[in-house]
Amino acid sequence: MNTSTNRDNEGVNTAGVTLVAAAPATIERPEVEESISLEHPWVVLVWNDPINLMSYVTFVFQKLFGYSLEKATELMLDVHEKGKAVVSSGSKEKSEMDVYRLHEHGLWATMQQDAV
Amino acid sequence: MRSDVARVKPPFTTSKKGIAINLGPDERGLLRTLIGEVRELLTTAPVGDPKLARLFPPAYFDNDEAETEYQRLMRDELVASRLDSIATVDAFLGDDKLKIVTFAQLDAFCAALNSVRLVLGTLLNVGEIDDYLDEDDPRHDELALYNFLSWLLDSAISALMQNPVA
Repeated sequence: MNTSTNRDNEGVNTAGVTLVAAAPATIERPEVEESISLEHPWVVLVWNDPINLMSYVTFVFQKLFGYSLEKATELMLDVHEKGKAVVSSGSKEKSEMDVYRLHEHGLWATMQQDAV
Repeated sequence: MRSDVARVKPPFTTSKKGIAINLGPDERGLLRTLIGEVRELLTTAPVGDPKLARLFPPAYFDNDEAETEYQRLMRDELVASRLDSIATVDAFLGDDKLKIVTFAQLDAFCAALNSVRLVLGTLLNVGEIDDYLDEDDPRHDELALYNFLSWLLDSAISALMQNPVA
C-alpha cells in the first residue's frame, strides 16, 4: 500500500553516512545467494491515531531517529493521511528497541518482517 | 482556569536564557494533579486495564508468542520510564521559583503530558474532529480540559524544536 521504504536512503544521508561499495577484491565469484538467504529485515510501522498531535509525532521522529524536519514531517503526514508509515527497518533486535522507544513516547508502533 | 488560559504569553517561550516556563500556580497545580493520577494508575491499575491501553500498545499484530515476550520484557521498562518523567515534571512544577527549564525537563514534560492525554483521550474516546467543542456534548468539560492539554503540549513542542539539544 505505501512506498515509505523507498525513502530509506534519505535517512542514511541525513545521518551523514556515506555508502561506499567495498571492492570484493578477494572474492572470485559473486556470492549473491548468500546475501539473499540472510534474514529478511524487519520494518517498524507507526499507525495513525486520533490522540497524538502532529507536532508531537514529528518531534518524536526527529528525536528518536535523527531525521531532518522535512523527512520527519513527510513521515508524519504519511501516518496521518495514509494511516501508517514505515519509520525504520533493520534487525529484529533493533526494531524491537525502536518499537519500545516509540511506545515510550506514546506512539502506536508495531513491527513485522518483510515487505508491507 | 479561563483567566489563566486567556492570556497573551504562550506557556513556553524561548529567550537568551533558555526556555521560559510561563505557568501560573493554578496551572502547575492542575498539571501536578493530573500526572499524579496517571502515576497512581501506573502503580495500581491491573495489567490490561482499558484506561491504560494506549500506554501499552501491542508490538506485534499476528505473533502472540513474540507479543507475550515483548510485554514480559518491556512493560516494566515502560512503566519505569513514565514514572521517571512524571517525577521530573512533578519536581519542577512544584518549584515556584523555577522560571527556566532545560531541554531534558521539557522533554519529560512532553512525555508526561502526553501520557495524561492518552489516558484522558481513551476515556473520552476522542476522535480527530473533537477539536471543536459542542456545547451539547456530555463530554464538553473534559474535552475542554483535553484541548487545553493539547495546546500546552503544542507550545512545549514548539519550544523544544526551536532549541535543539546542545
